[in-house]
Amino acid sequence: MLRATPLGPESPYLGDESKMTGSASLLLSPECEADVIEAVRRARESGEPLTVSGMRTGMCGGCVPMGGAVLTMERMGGIRGIGRDGRGFFVRVGPAATIREINEALRSGAPLASATPGAAEEMPRGAYFYPVDPTELNGSIGGNIATNASGPRTLKYGPTRDWVRRVRLVMSDGSVLDVKRGDRRARGRVVSVPMGGGPVEVRLPSYEFNTRVKNTAGLMSADGMDLVDLFVGSEGTLGIITEADLYLAERHPLISNIFFFPSDADAYAFVRDLRGSSADPEFLEFLDSGSLDLIRGVRERDRGFTSMPDLPESARSAVFMDLEMDGRLAGKYREIGVLAERRSGSLDDSWCGHELRDRERFFGLRHSVPRTVFEYVAGLKRTVPGIHKMATDMSVPLDRLDEMVAANEAAMDAHGLERVTFGHIGNGHLHLEIILKDMRDMEEAKIAYRELAAKAIELGGSPSAEHGIGKMKREFLLMLYGEAGVEEMREVKRALDPAGVLSPGNMAGP
Amino acid sequence: MRIIVFVKQVPDTDKVSVDGEGRLVRSGAPAVMDAYSECALDMACGLAGDGDEVIAASMGPPGARAALLRCLELGAGEAFLICDPAFAGSDAHATATVLSAFAMEIAPGADLILCGKQASDGDTAEVPPELAEKLGAPQFCYVEDIRIEGGSMLLVQNYGDELRACRHPLGALAVASVSKGGANRRLPSVSAYLRAAAMEIKTVDAAALRLPEGAAGARGSKTRIASTMASGAGRRGEAVDGSDPALAASAILRGMAP
Repeated sequence: MLRATPLGPESPYLGDESKMTGSASLLLSPECEADVIEAVRRARESGEPLTVSGMRTGMCGGCVPMGGAVLTMERMGGIRGIGRDGRGFFVRVGPAATIREINEALRSGAPLASATPGAAEEMPRGAYFYPVDPTELNGSIGGNIATNASGPRTLKYGPTRDWVRRVRLVMSDGSVLDVKRGDRRARGRVVSVPMGGGPVEVRLPSYEFNTRVKNTAGLMSADGMDLVDLFVGSEGTLGIITEADLYLAERHPLISNIFFFPSDADAYAFVRDLRGSSADPEFLEFLDSGSLDLIRGVRERDRGFTSMPDLPESARSAVFMDLEMDGRLAGKYREIGVLAERRSGSLDDSWCGHELRDRERFFGLRHSVPRTVFEYVAGLKRTVPGIHKMATDMSVPLDRLDEMVAANEAAMDAHGLERVTFGHIGNGHLHLEIILKDMRDMEEAKIAYRELAAKAIELGGSPSAEHGIGKMKREFLLMLYGEAGVEEMREVKRALDPAGVLSPGNMAGP
Repeated sequence: MRIIVFVKQVPDTDKVSVDGEGRLVRSGAPAVMDAYSECALDMACGLAGDGDEVIAASMGPPGARAALLRCLELGAGEAFLICDPAFAGSDAHATATVLSAFAMEIAPGADLILCGKQASDGDTAEVPPELAEKLGAPQFCYVEDIRIEGGSMLLVQNYGDELRACRHPLGALAVASVSKGGANRRLPSVSAYLRAAAMEIKTVDAAALRLPEGAAGARGSKTRIASTMASGAGRRGEAVDGSDPALAASAILRGMAP
C-alpha cells in the first residue's frame, strides 16, 4: 500500500550526502509497482511533482526535493532472482537493493529464485559478483542506475551502464516500460519510446557524449544508442525504476595492496610508470599526504576509527591496488617492486591482504577519508546552516592528469582553501575534498570549482565523472554542451514527462 | 628459544548468518585464522629475537594451509599442517593428544607453547590446559602479556577481575593461552607475502606423530555432542569474593542450587 506521511522541516528525506537541503510537504513510500503508479497518478492530478529518492547517498542533491512530494523507494528492495542469457548470469533486483546486499546474497548460501528457468541452480554459488564498486555500498541500485555510478573498479569493469541488462520503469503518464538491452535502438539520434498513449519519438541530443573518460554529465546520446542507455544516468527525470537486471562478473581471488611513498609526487610518478607495465590492477586508488594526515589525526582521537594498523610514519602518500592472485602474481610484484624503488618506495613499504576480512579493511581505509570529511561538514552545518560538502568529481584523460593536478593545487592555493586529494587515479579521476570552515570558504570553493570544471573540459575530461549532475552541478552542463545542448536535453524531458512531474530540478530539466 | 604456536582455522563469524529457523548458515563464510590464534602468533613473533624459532602448526583439513600461510606472512619461520583423516571428529581431549604428540615428535625441546585462549567455533577453551597436562608443563591461561626478564618469563594473566603476574624459568616448557592482542590485526608487507608464498608448509600425519590407532578422532574423544540448540535463556552473573575460599565455595553452591 502506498504510505503517505507529512514531512517536517528536519526530515532526513529533504537532504542527501551533499548536505544540501530542500523542501517537500509529503513523503510517499510505495511497496510495489502499483503503488508507484498510484503516486504518479496523484502527482499528475495535483500538479505536485515527485522527487525520486533511494538511500540518499548521492553527492549532488539529486534526491533533494524542490517542493511537492518525495517518493522514497526504500521499501522496494529485494533480490528477486538469478537469470541467464547469452552474455551470462544476471541478478534481478528491486530498486532499493544495495550492492552490499546483492553481493552478500551471491556469496552466501541463502536460497535464490530463478528469473529464467534453472538459472539459480546452474550458477555456482560464490563464483559471481556484481563488480561495480561505487565506494558507498549502501546506496540503492536504483540510485546507482539513475546516476550511472562508478568507482574504483571502473578501471577494469567500467561504470554501472555496462552492467545494466534491463530496466523496468513507471513513466510520467503512469504507464510501465519494460526494456532490456537490444530491444530498442535509436535510428540515428531518434528513439521510439512506448508510452501509455502509444510510441513517442524522442530526438536525442546532438552533442558528443564523452565516453573516453568517466562521465555522468548529462543524458547519454549517441547514434544508434540502446534505449536502456537513455535511462541509465537520467537521474529520475525520465522514469521511475521499479526493477532492474544486472549482469554479473566471475569472481576471482584478489589480493589488496597499499604501497607507501615519501611524497605525493613520487606516488603520481609511480602510477604514471605503472601504466605501461604488466601489473594489470583491478583499480588504482590514491591518498595524498593530506589524506594520510587526516586519518592519523582522527585516529589519535579515536583508535577505532579504522581497523588498520598505524600508518607508517614515513608515508606521505599511498597507492592502493587489487591484483588477481594467479600464476603471474609474483612476476607482477617483481615489476611493481622495480617501479616503486624508482620512486623511493619498495615492496617492504607496503601492506597486503588476501583474506576477505582484510580486503574489507583496505576498503574501509580508502573510504575513511570522504567519510571523515562528510562527518566534519555534517557537524559544521549545525553552526553554519548554509554550508554543504564540496568535493570535485572531475575526470581527465590519463595523459592530462598531471596538468589537472597542477591546476587543482594552484586553484586551492589561489583561493586560500584547505583540501585533501584522493581517489581513482587509474581513471584520471581524483577527488579534491575542500575542507570548508565558513561561508567565505564556501563561496571561494564555488568559484574554484567552476575554474577547475572549465579546466577539466579544456583537458578533454568531464566536470562530473561519477556523482552525476543533480541540482548542484547544472551549470557544468552549460559549460560542456552550451545552451543549445542543454535545450536538447530539455526536449527529451518534455517528450517523456511533458507535465514535469518527475524529479524536477535535476540535470537540465526545469 | 623455540616457540610453538598452535593456530586454528574457523569460519569467519562475521560472515556466518542465521536462517529463519535459527540454524547457522556457514556456506559462503570464508575460513580464517581464529582471532585468538592470531593474538598468540603476534605474541610469539614479538617475543622471538635473533636466533629464536617460531613454529606455527594447525590441526585441520587441507584448507587450513591458508591460516598457516598467514602465520608465515606475519613472521613464523616454519609451518606444519597436522592433517589426517584419523583426526576427524576430535574433541578437545583428542585434539590435545594430537598437539602434544606434535610437540614431542616434530618440534621437541620447545620453551613455550602458545595457543589462543579459545576458538570462536567451539569456544571450549579446554585444549590449552589439556595440552599442558599431557606435556607435564605448567599452564598459564588468559595470558595478555609475556616479557623476558633475566632468566625467566613473566606471564601476565587476566582473570577479568584481577591480573596475575607469574614468573617461569626459561628453559622449562610452559603452555599459555593468549587472550589479548594488539588493537588492530597486523598486515604483512608484499615482501613478507612473497617470502611466505615461497616457503613450504609441511604436512604431518598420524604415523609421523606415532599416534596409536584410536588415540585421536572420534574414537579418541571423551565427549560426544548429542545435539545443539539455541538457548533461549539469558545468563545472570554474580561476582563472588574469593578472599575466603570456603565462603566463596558456599556462595557458589548456593548460587547453583535450583
